[in-house]
Amino acid sequence: MSGASGGGTSGQARAGGLRSGTVGLLLRIEVLKAVKRRAFWVAVGLFAALNAIATVDNVRYARLYPENTYALPASWPDILTGLTGPGPFFIAVLMILLLAPEFSWRTGRQNVIDGLSKERLYAGKVIVLVGLIALFTATVVAIGVVGTLFSPSEGGPEFIRSTDLSYVGGCILNLLLFCSAGLMLSTMIRSAGPALGVLFLYILVEQAIAELVSRMGETMRGASEYFPFSITQDLGNSLVHYPEQLAAVNSSRAERGLPPLEFLAVEVLAIAALAYSAIFLVIAFLSMRKRDL
Amino acid sequence: MPVIETHDLTKRYGRRAAKSVLAVDQVSFSVEEGQVFGFLGPNGSGKTTTIGMLVGIINPTGGGFRLFGASGPKGLLAARSRVGATLETPNFYPYMSGRDNLRVAAAIKGVGRARIEECLELVGLADRAKHRFRTYSLGMKQRLALAATMLNDPELVILDEPANGLDPQGMREIREIIRILADRGKTIFLSSHLLWEVERTCSHVAIVRKGRIVASGTVTEVVSAGKSALLRAGDEDALAAALEGCPEVMSVRRFEEGGVVVGLHSDDLAAVNRYLAGRGIHVSHLAPHRPSLEEVFIDLTRGDFDPMTEIAS
Repeated sequence: MSGASGGGTSGQARAGGLRSGTVGLLLRIEVLKAVKRRAFWVAVGLFAALNAIATVDNVRYARLYPENTYALPASWPDILTGLTGPGPFFIAVLMILLLAPEFSWRTGRQNVIDGLSKERLYAGKVIVLVGLIALFTATVVAIGVVGTLFSPSEGGPEFIRSTDLSYVGGCILNLLLFCSAGLMLSTMIRSAGPALGVLFLYILVEQAIAELVSRMGETMRGASEYFPFSITQDLGNSLVHYPEQLAAVNSSRAERGLPPLEFLAVEVLAIAALAYSAIFLVIAFLSMRKRDL
Repeated sequence: MPVIETHDLTKRYGRRAAKSVLAVDQVSFSVEEGQVFGFLGPNGSGKTTTIGMLVGIINPTGGGFRLFGASGPKGLLAARSRVGATLETPNFYPYMSGRDNLRVAAAIKGVGRARIEECLELVGLADRAKHRFRTYSLGMKQRLALAATMLNDPELVILDEPANGLDPQGMREIREIIRILADRGKTIFLSSHLLWEVERTCSHVAIVRKGRIVASGTVTEVVSAGKSALLRAGDEDALAAALEGCPEVMSVRRFEEGGVVVGLHSDDLAAVNRYLAGRGIHVSHLAPHRPSLEEVFIDLTRGDFDPMTEIAS
């Protein structure tokens, strides 16, 4: 007999181990759910439009002022700005809008009744997470690269440099952290409005705490750099990935008698972002697996 | 081999003993292949929680169960591919069409598009399949839920209140679909408040009260289990009042068609007659009474609910 501990759900990940066919099936189901949703197209469209506007502005600026290059690879920092700023918020909001209603509409529960294990339901949401990160990154890169084709600026010999790759990686980790937080909040709170509220409230609270802590001395200020939102801000800051930019900024600050800007090493930021994302994803998994639907 | 077999299945909500709620309390029953099994109980008696555990959305806190003889996560996942189920209200994506909603369910169940069209035809939704689910009436939503349930041509069909909120025409349509499924040899596990419907449709029933099964067996066994009698007299108010004090009598209620029905501790109708005669009440009719399933249900779950509200719902 299925015991109390099993109840027919625990351990189904083992039972239904994710094979390539299963990933394809889950991808097909999640794509069908997303593309039929107006909120999905509104969010993606708005994000693409904001990036297109910024790109048009960059091209126009390069035409008016030829010394402001907008060509690859020099323009990567400008292009990738689209993945920082509002980008992570967009992706977290979209993640919550796509996931939380599965609980309020009870469609996730129906998916399980129809034969999907809770673990596969969760795996489907991880596929959504990966898909959104890929979609947002591709949108920004595509719009930015197409924009450079209309710019009069001369490009360099390379398409992309190692520092640009570091920035791309930082932006993707930034999106991953926000998306994981969205997934966790969706599975724990199970309602889109409150989940969005908690996300924005957390960001405000963390900034307030970081501000408070930074006044308590150097050690405490150092600790606040490891807060999740702080990590995402640093990962999305081009100065962290372009040492020559940081050197120029610090030189300018030195001339004005200001202390130099310092950041955690990119590797440390990356590990911290991955660790937070992993924690959020594990909490989401346990929440989905242990709680009744 | 039973299709469903539960053994002391238990679900307790909340960890602290003082605040926890025992929704399902050591429920044991079995459903054999081909049976149309009615699972009855007032609201909050644990029916949906029991079904939820069977279909894998609620984790039991005690006991266990088998589906098609299988237990354990791997076995149950495989067994559930032979089950079609719908719980409470139909749960679909409101922004998607009926057909697209069935495409999601079909992908999960591993069935093709042709089967989607067959099921839409079967429940009479082919003409409205392209419309969004949110535009459907409750009857159409229930029919779409039935279509989704039947996609994988399940051997076991679990229906939780499939006629909830339907008008008489909608109820008749659902009853017809259930009959078609039963005629095809499907095992049907039906939770419903419509007791006369269950009495007509089901071969077996279990009545659940406060999380425990209080009666189970064939419909005939369950309605014959209680000893009761129908009495009539000139002054039925006096008759009912007198019967309240009779030691042989467990329960007293007015019979819709006139008279008073009593539940008895024994078959000794003569003792009841003597008791009434001793109080100056002479009955014009005193005979054993075969109650309806509805009467048995109300007797067994007395005090748990307002019968009129429940039955109306």
